Amino acid sequence: MGIDLIFRIAAIGILVSVLNAVLTKSGREEQAMMTTLAGLIVVLLMIVKEIVNLFDTVKAMFQF
Amino acid sequence: MRVNRYFLCDLWGSSFGTLGGMGITMLLKIIGSAVVVATTSILGYALSINYKRRPAELRELQGLLQMLENEIGYLSNLLVDAFEKISRSSRSKTVIFFNAAAENLKSCSSIGASNAWEKAVRDNIETTSLNKEDEEILVSFGKMLGISDVEGQIKNIRLLQSQLKLQEQKAEESRQKNERMYKSLGVLGGIAIVIMLI
Repeated sequence: MGIDLIFRIAAIGILVSVLNAVLTKSGREEQAMMTTLAGLIVVLLMIVKEIVNLFDTVKAMFQF
Repeated sequence: MRVNRYFLCDLWGSSFGTLGGMGITMLLKIIGSAVVVATTSILGYALSINYKRRPAELRELQGLLQMLENEIGYLSNLLVDAFEKISRSSRSKTVIFFNAAAENLKSCSSIGASNAWEKAVRDNIETTSLNKEDEEILVSFGKMLGISDVEGQIKNIRLLQSQLKLQEQKAEESRQKNERMYKSLGVLGGIAIVIMLI
């Protein structure tokens, strides 16, 4: 997993919030919304492997 | 303060050391990231520059039309001479319309003033920052060019000037909205790409 994943997600969060502010200020609320959504999807794609890992661990724990 | 500085030096040294330790891939990553960010920044800047130029060009065009009004109203010059005089008198980019129209009129005398003007506008609109709306306004001005008396011509020029003033206000509005957005969007988009690829 590593700590760099957390840093990367934090960087994407900061970036998306700044993009959101810029786009909202220039009157493009729809694009701002789409950017937020895109950031969310990218982060989800990044952590989907870790979630699978977690589920596998839980499954292995309850299998006797 | 001194401790702080030594700490920073140490930090710099250690990071440099790890950089050396990590080998050439880290260096390549840094260079590639810098190239990507620089490229998207330049792209954003190039997109924003059109929004900056358009109000200025519309203003220049209004000044040139004022000159054309003087040429027609007070000096009663021929259209070709008026166009040539205007295109010689100014250094701005929009003067290319007048220059091209004069060329068209001289190269083919049967073309007619309105067709010469329309051809000049359609051929050269790409070299300026004006958009489709401005193009249509300029072409519709050409339809009335050279088919009425001095009074009618001057009224036509005044109409075009008022339309251009309106366009200028709109262009100024869209400049304030878009210019900074494109600049920051270029830089931020580059950083986003780097974070995703790294």
